[in-house]
Amino acid sequence: MASIWTLHFHSLSVRPSCPFFIDSNSSTRRRRRHRFLITNGISTQQFKQQCITSISKFHHQLLTSISIPMPQFLTNRNIGINLPIWVCVAVVILVASLRALSKFSRKKERPGSVADLVRRGQLRSDRRGISRNLKYEDPFDNPLVKVSKSKSSVEMCGKVYRLAPVTLTQEEQAVHQRRRSRAYQWKRPTVFLKEGESVPPDVDPDTIRWIPANHPFATTSTDIGEDFAHKNVSQKHGVPFRIQAEHEALQRKLEALQNEEELNKVVINPINAKEFERPFNSHGRLNDHAEKTSLNNQVKDPLSSKLDSSPNNFGSASSSGEDQNLKL
Amino acid sequence: MLSLYNHPTTTTTTTTTNLKSHFPSITHLRHSPTFPKPKPKTLTKSLLQWNRKPQLSGETPRVVVVTSGKGGVGKTTTTANIGLSLARLGFSVVAIDADVGLRNLDLLLGLENRVNYTVVEILNGECRLDQALVRDKRWSNFELLCISKPRSKLPIGFGGKALTWLVEALKARGDKTGGNGTGTNGSGSGSSSTGSGCPDFILIDCPAGIDAGFITAITPANEAVLITTPDITALRDADRVTGLLECDGIRDIKMIVNRVRTDMIKGEDMMSVLDVQEMLGLPLLGVIPEDSEVIRSTNRGYPLVLNKPPTLAGLAFEQAAWRLVEQDSMQAVMVEEEPKRGFFSFFGG
Repeated sequence: MASIWTLHFHSLSVRPSCPFFIDSNSSTRRRRRHRFLITNGISTQQFKQQCITSISKFHHQLLTSISIPMPQFLTNRNIGINLPIWVCVAVVILVASLRALSKFSRKKERPGSVADLVRRGQLRSDRRGISRNLKYEDPFDNPLVKVSKSKSSVEMCGKVYRLAPVTLTQEEQAVHQRRRSRAYQWKRPTVFLKEGESVPPDVDPDTIRWIPANHPFATTSTDIGEDFAHKNVSQKHGVPFRIQAEHEALQRKLEALQNEEELNKVVINPINAKEFERPFNSHGRLNDHAEKTSLNNQVKDPLSSKLDSSPNNFGSASSSGEDQNLKL
Repeated sequence: MLSLYNHPTTTTTTTTTNLKSHFPSITHLRHSPTFPKPKPKTLTKSLLQWNRKPQLSGETPRVVVVTSGKGGVGKTTTTANIGLSLARLGFSVVAIDADVGLRNLDLLLGLENRVNYTVVEILNGECRLDQALVRDKRWSNFELLCISKPRSKLPIGFGGKALTWLVEALKARGDKTGGNGTGTNGSGSGSSSTGSGCPDFILIDCPAGIDAGFITAITPANEAVLITTPDITALRDADRVTGLLECDGIRDIKMIVNRVRTDMIKGEDMMSVLDVQEMLGLPLLGVIPEDSEVIRSTNRGYPLVLNKPPTLAGLAFEQAAWRLVEQDSMQAVMVEEEPKRGFFSFFGG
């Protein structure tokens, strides 16, 4: 609504045909001209007529502009005079909006930016690392913290606080320390015992800490030695101790299991030899490879001899089956 | 109006002269006799670049335990905020959450999704120390180490010893020759450990109470920051904990009075900071005003000191961190909010 009204006023104000809606300077100029015309012999009747027609014209235009605002505005024959201004305004707005849009899109699309990371869901917008270096050099004297010249008050975050000096002296501190040392006789506990455990010999009872049975500490079983724990803490490189130990143990177990299972299964039920196709295949391949190399080098490989020793007994047996499979 | 220099106290003459002599133009709330600070030239310059950094005093790494006795007074909040403030000031910090059963520091820092390994796993040999350290992405010189997962248990026999070993291992992080164990397998990803050296600060977030967790947490510490609120329950526990710390040989104890409300102090519904100090007899590291922003930042996992614009409590934490670096203490405290002098104040309005 407001925009319509402004348009009306604008359209009226810039209309040159209306003699009463020109600025004060031009109106005075016009008045002077009229006076000049009158003095130069033009009749007052003519002037009156002119005035009446212009007033009626303006009245008519005013009425039409209010009743049908937009078409009047658009179909105004004088719009041609204002057209360059309107075009300029439109172009400026268009350019500004395009520039802002391109800036915004460029900012958003820049790969690797924080905004981009937030958009891709890699970073939470509320926990962005927006912290920057401190811009002031002293937390006691900066734009947010100001101490008054008389040093009796401090202004922090816009609030003024009255200051009072600290009166604690070294003597008073020493008095308090003495009081506390009398009040609290304490030795740091070095031995932690669960309820029900017996006190070991040569242990000062003051240094024993009795832990209730339901305490989180009490329910722990120390499955790792102190020395190992110390070593683990100071380890800097490489695979952690437990991981390595577990890995090695698992590997040993796997190897042992493989060997045992192979032997047992073959001994118990040699018909199930087909289940060992994969390892035998690999062994077979190794064997083939070894044979080839032995043939080439004319030297017996120790690896092939090892392989030949234990599983190759079935290997030779299975090789026939393998051959059969291949034939099939 | 009660002035800083006209405060009627028993030690008026000595204190005022000290205050005058120790208050340079830029630092009015503290004094640093050993490290005189240069005067900033212009405000514009200070706004644009780093001119000053707090002077680190004491041997590094400074092992500081943040303790209280009573629960819910703000130990973890203080650890998170001071830790990140120190990191922002350019110091390398390792924060250890020594709360075995109820750890929360990771939540406050917003790192809860990144804690895969803890001290328990290190001790068991399931990971190395460098793998258990969680580096903050906002400030890469800040690292978090949790002592255990919520349901896992720490072997009781060497809880304290384990933390001491950890501190030793962190100290030895700088030199590449160190480190025993099964270091022969060089194919592991040990590059992260070599990239960072010995930290400047090791902050230990102590659990509430004076149980085994407390003993574990204080074992490797050289100094302590005692957190208390201005109420009698917290003060009694704080006094007891201070006594235990002193018995254990930790002499460098400073306190932070948290959740201070100046309006309540004015109405005499809350003990003032000076009253608290009179009761405990400890030097003040900081006074943190009550701030609703603390809860908001806790829920967000975004420490208060990183807030923009800074809040009142955040600024107070930064000041406390600065004092911690310089082993300094407060020389003047905020007592009450001054009434604003408006246009009608002339007429008594």
